Parts: sequence; structure tokens; C-alpha cells
Amino acid sequence: MMNILKKFVDKVFRDLFKKKKHIRLGLYGPPNGGKTTLANRICQDWLGEDMGSVSPIAHETREIYVKEEINIKSGRKELSFNLVDTPGIATKIDYENFVKKGLSVKEAKKRAREATKGVIDAIKWLDDMDTVIVVIDATKDPMSQVNITIIGNLQARKTPVLIVANKTDLKKADVKKIQAAFPQYSVVGISARYGNNMDNFYEALFAIAG
Amino acid sequence: MPHQCVRCNTFYEDGAAEILKGCPCGGKLFFFIKKEKLEKAKEVTVNLTPKEKQQIEFDVLDIIGEEAADDQPVVLDMEAIRILKPGKYELDLVHLFKKDPLVYKVGEGKYLIDIIRSFSPSKKL
Repeated sequence: MMNILKKFVDKVFRDLFKKKKHIRLGLYGPPNGGKTTLANRICQDWLGEDMGSVSPIAHETREIYVKEEINIKSGRKELSFNLVDTPGIATKIDYENFVKKGLSVKEAKKRAREATKGVIDAIKWLDDMDTVIVVIDATKDPMSQVNITIIGNLQARKTPVLIVANKTDLKKADVKKIQAAFPQYSVVGISARYGNNMDNFYEALFAIAG
Repeated sequence: MPHQCVRCNTFYEDGAAEILKGCPCGGKLFFFIKKEKLEKAKEVTVNLTPKEKQQIEFDVLDIIGEEAADDQPVVLDMEAIRILKPGKYELDLVHLFKKDPLVYKVGEGKYLIDIIRSFSPSKKL
């Protein structure tokens, strides 16, 4: 009985003096959707530094990168998170695509191997995410196997999801198409590259994770 | 369910001694293939050169991590990752997301562990 009482008192005190919320926030999506560009944008906005390197060749990010203790504010709300940038998730990885982009055969095969490992790691790390941002290239058809599998899986895990329709600076971008494809989710259109609509992005993030 | 030695293409049934000890050719990496996909798998592996096979062995061991670096035989589930040639991979996301074991390590007379769990990166989140 004393134990139960002690636990109750502990919980009340913990809740009373609870620090601001701290979560693990994962960036997921297909390759070249702009996950690292968004990670860099968030880090630039709040820490004044980049997080990782970006490249027009797919699968530039082949390892998990974690930036710890990012604190963001919107009005009176504060959110603290560890930002986890993950390799792009793909169903097919073919070194010949990298050769076409100018890599040597040896480099391309190595990249393919590392990218495959990266996909497996990214999926493994999903268990540790409190909230996930799915970054989708808004110029592409959103109904891809990768998008549907990731989002469906997150739904099954009951992980809060924010969908980012990235690359709205490009003419072909169609945010409405992405909203129509995933009507049960918040979708925010941004250009991570140019920082367009980031205020709405942070608001949406607070709504999901705050 | 058939297991194929990546090095010499020989097929072995479940529980065969060769899978547990390693293939007589010296190969320690096996592909686990569903019966209905056997014909397709045969076509793929027959067309590989010895050099490509060696590369695939190296790649698989690299992908599955250091845990597999000891001398025990390893079985890669081809349902989850299909390696067509070095540098050409097909991933079954549904399979991977289901957290089914990707690779089985073999030893002491039985399939042992789910490596995907045991080689999780150190998570300092």
C-alpha cells in the first residue's frame, strides 16, 4: 500500500515539475526527398549549423545521423528533441544508377552496398522514434510502395506522423496531391532548400509532437 | 525449404549437415530461397562468375555486420534482400518492416539468433 502511495506522490511531483517535452524525432522517406536538406534547415534555424552533406546523387546519407538537444520555440511552447536523419528507404538499389551519375563502378558498388545497409538500419531505428516526419518529394507521385509502406507501418505502430511535401519551389510540386493521397495526416508543403513555409512546418510539428 | 550455397550453387534441404557446418566447397554463406522461387533463383546464381560470387559473399557479410564475422555459416533470407549481382539489390520492405529475421546464424546444430536484433547500433538518443 505504501508503495502505491509513494509511486502516486512521485508521479504527481514529476508531473508538477516536468521539464519541457523531449522527444526523438526521425526523418524518414525515399531517397532524394530532401531529408538531410530539411535536417540542415532545422539545424541552421535553431543551432546555426548544418547536420549532414547533401548530393543530387541518391543515397548520399547511408548512415544514421543524430543531432542531440535541439530546442525549438513557437509562442509559449517549447519542444526539445534529438533529430535523427536516416538513409533513404528504397526497394531497389542498383549501382548502375550511380555510374550514370558519374561514379566509378567500384565507388558505385560500394555506395549500393552501404545504401542497402542503410535501409536496414533506418527500419531498425524506427522502434526508437517518438515522432516521425516523412519527407516526400512533392514533384513525384506520392503513391509509391515506399511511401505507403512507411506510412502504413507508422500507423500500425501508432507513431505520430507529419508528412512534409518538400521541394515546393519547383514548378511540378503538387502538395494537394500528397494531401489527397494521405488524407488522415497533416501535410505541410515546404521548400527545405530555400526555407519556404518553415513557420507552418514548426507549427505543425508542435501540433503533432508538442 | 532449400538453401543454396552462394559459392558453388549446391542446394541443400532444411537441416542438412552442410548448412550447419559449412559447404564442402568451403562456402559459409547460404541463400534461403522459397520453393516457388527456386527456378528463378537458379537462373540468377548460375550466371554469376566466381569473382561476382566472392564479391556477394563480402557484401552480405558487410551488410549484416560484424556479428557474422566469425567462422559460423550464415543464411541470408532471400525473401528480404535479393542480391541479383554485386551492387544490385532488391529489398522487400514489407518483410523488413515486419522485423522478420534477415539473416540466420547457424551453429551448434541449429539456427541460432536473429542477428538484426543483436547487431543493433549503440543507441545514445
